[in-house]
Amino acid sequence: MDATTQSPPARSHGEADIAVTGESEAKQLERTWADPPGLFGWFRALQNDEVAKRIMGTAFTFFVVGGILALLIRLQLLSPESTLIGPDTYNELFTMHGSTMMYLFVVPMMEGFAILILPVMLGNREMPFPRLGAFSWFTMAMGGVLFYVSYLFNAVPKAGWFALAPLSGPEYAPGIAMDFWLLALGVAEVAAIAAGVEIIIAILRMRAPGMTLSRMPMYAWAMLVTAVAILFAFTPLMVGSLLLELDRKIGSHFFNPALGGSPVLWQHLFWIFGHPEVYIQFLPATGMVSMIVPVFARQKLQGYTLIATAVIATGFMSFVLWVHHMFTVGLPQVTMTFFSAASILIAIPAGAQIFAWIATIISGRPVWKTPFLFVIGFLVIFVLGGITGVMVGLVPFDLQAHDSYFIVAHLHYVLIGGSVFPIFAALYYWLPKFSGKMLSERLGRWNFWLMFIGFNLSFFPMHIAGLLGMPRRVYTYSPGLGWDLYNVLATVGSWILAAGVLLFLINFFYSLRYGEPAPENPWQADSLEWGTATPPPNYGFAALPVVRGRHPLWQQERIHGEQTRTEKLMKALSKWPLTWRAALTTTALEAKPEEIFRVSGPSIWPFVTAVGLITIFAAEIFTLRALVGLGILVIIVGIVGWHWPDDVDTPAEEEEAFEKEHGIPVSTGSSRAVAKWSVGLALLIIFIALASFVFSYIYIRLVNSAWPPANIPLPNLLWPAIGTAVLLASGGAVRWARAGIATGKQNHLRLGLALTFVLGAVGLGLLIYAFSGLSFNWQTHAYGSIFYMLGGYALLIITSGLLMNLFTQVWSWLGRYSAKRHVAVANTARFWYGTLVLWLVVFFTLYLSPHIW
Amino acid sequence: MRYAPLTVPIIKRGIFLAATGLLLAGCQSSPSTLNPQGPAAARISDLTWVLFVVGGAVYVIVMALLLYALFRRRATTQSSGPPGRERWIIWGGIGLTAVVLLLIFGFAVNTLVAIARPDTADQLTVEVTGHQWWWEVHYPDEGVTTANEIHIPTGEPLEIKLKSQDVIHSFWVPELHGKLDLVPGQTNTFWLQADQDGEYWGICAEYCGIQHAKMQFVVVAQPPAELERWLQAQSQPAVTPTEPQAVRGQEVFMEANCGECHTIAGTAAGGELGPDLTHLASRRTLAAGVVENNRGNLGGWIIDPHGIKPGNLMPATPLSGEDLQALLAYLEILE
Repeated sequence: MDATTQSPPARSHGEADIAVTGESEAKQLERTWADPPGLFGWFRALQNDEVAKRIMGTAFTFFVVGGILALLIRLQLLSPESTLIGPDTYNELFTMHGSTMMYLFVVPMMEGFAILILPVMLGNREMPFPRLGAFSWFTMAMGGVLFYVSYLFNAVPKAGWFALAPLSGPEYAPGIAMDFWLLALGVAEVAAIAAGVEIIIAILRMRAPGMTLSRMPMYAWAMLVTAVAILFAFTPLMVGSLLLELDRKIGSHFFNPALGGSPVLWQHLFWIFGHPEVYIQFLPATGMVSMIVPVFARQKLQGYTLIATAVIATGFMSFVLWVHHMFTVGLPQVTMTFFSAASILIAIPAGAQIFAWIATIISGRPVWKTPFLFVIGFLVIFVLGGITGVMVGLVPFDLQAHDSYFIVAHLHYVLIGGSVFPIFAALYYWLPKFSGKMLSERLGRWNFWLMFIGFNLSFFPMHIAGLLGMPRRVYTYSPGLGWDLYNVLATVGSWILAAGVLLFLINFFYSLRYGEPAPENPWQADSLEWGTATPPPNYGFAALPVVRGRHPLWQQERIHGEQTRTEKLMKALSKWPLTWRAALTTTALEAKPEEIFRVSGPSIWPFVTAVGLITIFAAEIFTLRALVGLGILVIIVGIVGWHWPDDVDTPAEEEEAFEKEHGIPVSTGSSRAVAKWSVGLALLIIFIALASFVFSYIYIRLVNSAWPPANIPLPNLLWPAIGTAVLLASGGAVRWARAGIATGKQNHLRLGLALTFVLGAVGLGLLIYAFSGLSFNWQTHAYGSIFYMLGGYALLIITSGLLMNLFTQVWSWLGRYSAKRHVAVANTARFWYGTLVLWLVVFFTLYLSPHIW
Repeated sequence: MRYAPLTVPIIKRGIFLAATGLLLAGCQSSPSTLNPQGPAAARISDLTWVLFVVGGAVYVIVMALLLYALFRRRATTQSSGPPGRERWIIWGGIGLTAVVLLLIFGFAVNTLVAIARPDTADQLTVEVTGHQWWWEVHYPDEGVTTANEIHIPTGEPLEIKLKSQDVIHSFWVPELHGKLDLVPGQTNTFWLQADQDGEYWGICAEYCGIQHAKMQFVVVAQPPAELERWLQAQSQPAVTPTEPQAVRGQEVFMEANCGECHTIAGTAAGGELGPDLTHLASRRTLAAGVVENNRGNLGGWIIDPHGIKPGNLMPATPLSGEDLQALLAYLEILE
């Protein structure tokens, strides 16, 4: 279907939406979905547009800061033996530059974009956990600021963005600089995971009716895979960071080769994160490109299924090629050959996407607007970065290129080409929708050409410098090595690139004041976010669209036209409820309406919880343990307040009437589907962390010839085995409790939960007793370090399960559960099952495996 | 079996000429990976040229396709073109990518196997230990210890055992081979071979702290007989000073506690934190390849090491002019 041949609809989609709903109803919805006013309201705000703008604004600020650091780096390297910036300062600069761009710019920027556009693009009203979104911004911003507070304490991290042990360990990085790196960025990593969770659920469970998986915009596919990858990548990073922090703070030996640890373990944990991280930055960009190319080629996306497959394949493959960052560590040849093959194979799905975009352009008619220019710039740059990527994926070439300026060139071609150019394309494309003002095309073109020329001038010569022997991360170099010219070019290019970015800022602020008002669908695009008013109302859509194809705005002249049961439901939903934030969950595959549920409203508790979190991490930097304890208390209060049920003003009869008429459950509490998925994802994260710990255990076991090491006996099985048996019995008890409430038996539930708690607590006590009798501790040997770590982790999760049980018990005595509504009981049970499985894995690893292996 | 150069010289020369503008705009003395002086670097260099040709061709094809897509003549009325063309482009692209990857992967594995170990058995072993920010060089069989300078026999492979005393470093002589890390707690085995006599520049390639940039060294390839003589000379204890100023210099050395960190074989100085100075005067450079080894630089280095290499671990030694001259006179006889 070609958009240009289509006559514009008589009335805009936004107006049509209000017409369906009714003026006064629409106004009421707008009020219901608005953030509270005032300063206090600002801290309680959680509307997705607002949260996204904050995240994106903060991320862009960090982009500018990181860019300024890069300009200083380039100034120092302008000439050989320059004394402009000393070695210490230089090492701080490249550490802060890399860390800022990786952790504080690209990932939050991509998640911010997703939070901004996904609800409208998917045709729903909100993200599933607005409070989690708000929390994500608070933590990301606070973590980022805390990271830069290191400058105030003159303790700026300088071990690189990869922080290789032992250079980052207690011996070679004394002081608190590395603690700033580990803990401040740890807060930002929590933010990334939090946003990832809600992005997954939004995409899988909150699409407009009719938007089956195969009709989902490609951007949603890309973000889905990205968000899953975030959980799988950031969790091992947090585990690695925790282990390193423990080495630094309590004298464990995970990375200390003198006592059984291994510095190479850090590299594994870091690159298991670090490589997927590249694709976490790249995949959202491909999603953006897949949205923008068809609109400006005036042709639907070619090879849709293939691209979706390629995106998924890229996500999977990105986890099996981390070792290509370690080809010079001295690994066996066969290992390197395997990871080399995996590394270059990823060029196939990447290539598939590129050829699909080119095919789309060939069969279309390009319209040269700024977003499209940036997309073409992306292709020109990224393809080169991809080709050099294949080159460095080949072991022999990498032996020369590794840690040389060739890699600096390659990674910037991939990341600036593959992420930053698409981000600028996306900013030019989507900002008008949300700011209501068009950006200037004229300035946009200047912006593009400055960035494009500056980028290539800056980074292309680095390939050559690297081949001529210039290593990375050197604060200076000798004259006469033949590198001078390339460094001059790179520095000049960096300033042109910076001028381009500056021009964007000018364009943006100019447009806010003097820009042309943006129409509803300025680019004649096909996806749903263009089918609502500009800027979108707080509620996104009053009557949720019913999707009948992959390109709704090209295929459906009007969003609401047919007289189906679903249409009727959507219209009814636009008129009731008006006083609480109702959103729709749909089934994961077919997007059939499943449940009307209440999205949580404005709340101060995300802010309180974030303050608790930052307090813990900031206090730990300075080893102020009392303050850490206070932070933990604040978090517990914050989480309880966050989840405290609040009541609605619509009578239960209205709910029942609605349910009856439309045959869809209405939940004024949390959604069953969303709650189930959130517990599932929480368990997933817990198990990814478990896998990272077990990986560390196995790795440390393999580098030690004796296990357990000399002077440490094999673990005693008696008490842990009894404890395990008692814990397993508690699993039966919780099952029994759940079966009770399912048939409405309150006392059955109460008794079952109490029994679960008692058995669980006894089991936990036995395990703690077994630990207290150990003849070694975490300082004895890396064996002790990982033993206590893995055991301690299990005990912590068991304790969390017991606390969850306790809250559920309190509510069960208050009679909050019924046969129909007992989501919390089901979740408590699910979490407890997960806990037991986790303990079995830990029990096997710690207590059984040394006996048999 | 001797290494036989691969048969890509014609392409190589062609590209060389085409790329002279940029690649050789720099000065000829670059420690270039594309100017290989040993068999391993030569194999990698061959692979690199093949990758340039293949990668360049792929890039040109994709860009040509993109340009065609953007600027092809289009009929005034919309037509979607011949049916199935999009499918051809996508699947053709994937097929092309797959074939190219398969070919270069085979070539790369072949290269990897070829450079894994030398063609002939190595006679000589040297242990290189990384320190922040210098290289300890030890020939265990000959009992020779020196620093920041590795002497190798021209035309013969040399086995290198890489270790680290502190953090991770990486050993790189671009003209001779790729790089391999020095990891605390493990020993990595590497080898080098130079085909011509000469000096080859090397540097640490893994960020290792404040003076990572100035952790350099030099590989000296010399005829085996000459190397034999050098090892013989280096295995001797230090000369005993006889001339009065040098005798005084040795006293200054001991009084200033230089022996806490440095060893001079045959004297009481037995420190192991810094480089062995037994034959300091025979070395080409000071401070790990940073400055030429001459009287002025040595004096400057002793008085103010942080002027040359800020943040390095050698403390400044305040000496009177007279003492410094005596110390230099002593150090200069340590050939």
